[in-house]
Amino acid sequence: MRRLCLASAFGLLAVLAGCKASSPSKVERGVMRWTKHTVSVRNKSERNPLPPTSENIAAGKEAFSHYCVACHGMDGQNTGVPFADSMSPPVPMLNSSEVQSYTDGQLKWVIDNGIEPSGMPASKGILSDEEIWSTVLFIRHLPPAGSLGDPPMYSK
Amino acid sequence: MKAGIILRSIFVGCLAMGSLTLSGFSPVPDTPRRIEVSVKRFAYTPAEITLKKGEPVVLVLTTEDVAHGLKFKELNLNSKIDKGKPSELAFTPDKVGDFVGHCSVFCGSGHGSMTLTLHVTE
Repeated sequence: MRRLCLASAFGLLAVLAGCKASSPSKVERGVMRWTKHTVSVRNKSERNPLPPTSENIAAGKEAFSHYCVACHGMDGQNTGVPFADSMSPPVPMLNSSEVQSYTDGQLKWVIDNGIEPSGMPASKGILSDEEIWSTVLFIRHLPPAGSLGDPPMYSK
Repeated sequence: MKAGIILRSIFVGCLAMGSLTLSGFSPVPDTPRRIEVSVKRFAYTPAEITLKKGEPVVLVLTTEDVAHGLKFKELNLNSKIDKGKPSELAFTPDKVGDFVGHCSVFCGSGHGSMTLTLHVTE
């Protein structure tokens, strides 16, 4: 009986330790990056139907600034997002090679379906298809870090 | 002399009227058709409207909750619908087809699925 209690206590500790948000190791990051880019994130071949005009990029910026901004900042580079570095995995910089190396179709897929268990939510229905494609354009044309200030919800 | 001018004017007028009738011309109504549209999270009522090509129309958009918008990219139309006062979207459809409008002001979790479809017929 005593052994059973001890085993249960150790098991509980292990589970709780596993829940703690800590930075993933380099190996974990590498494995996850490979898995996402080549296996789990689909829609690699779909093309963006919207041309990269200034109007479409501005529409993407508008959609981004109402929704994505809470986690990615106004600039897509986490400026002013207080928890960006303390999430596990941390919120990625959208101008990083890790993100920019996805195809447009994959970025659309990520926004539509989210990435479990990273914290990235599925947004299909929350944003329209056109808003998501224009957001992809904005992600391809991000402004310099910090140039748009902090998200309104954190700066007031 | 004066009578000649009047006769010639009447003759030209008759010719013009005749050619318009033969070419299938139908006069455009003076007052545009007004259609009331009620808007709330996350739907437009009615959600589908049938219009005639060339018929002027005004969509009178009233929100029952928060600010919304209505955008038809293909028709180059966009209107913001503020709380407390109806917004009027006046236009004359110039092409036949089905056009899906979306809410253009972020309004919550179902924002992306808010649509109003215009069926424009000949």
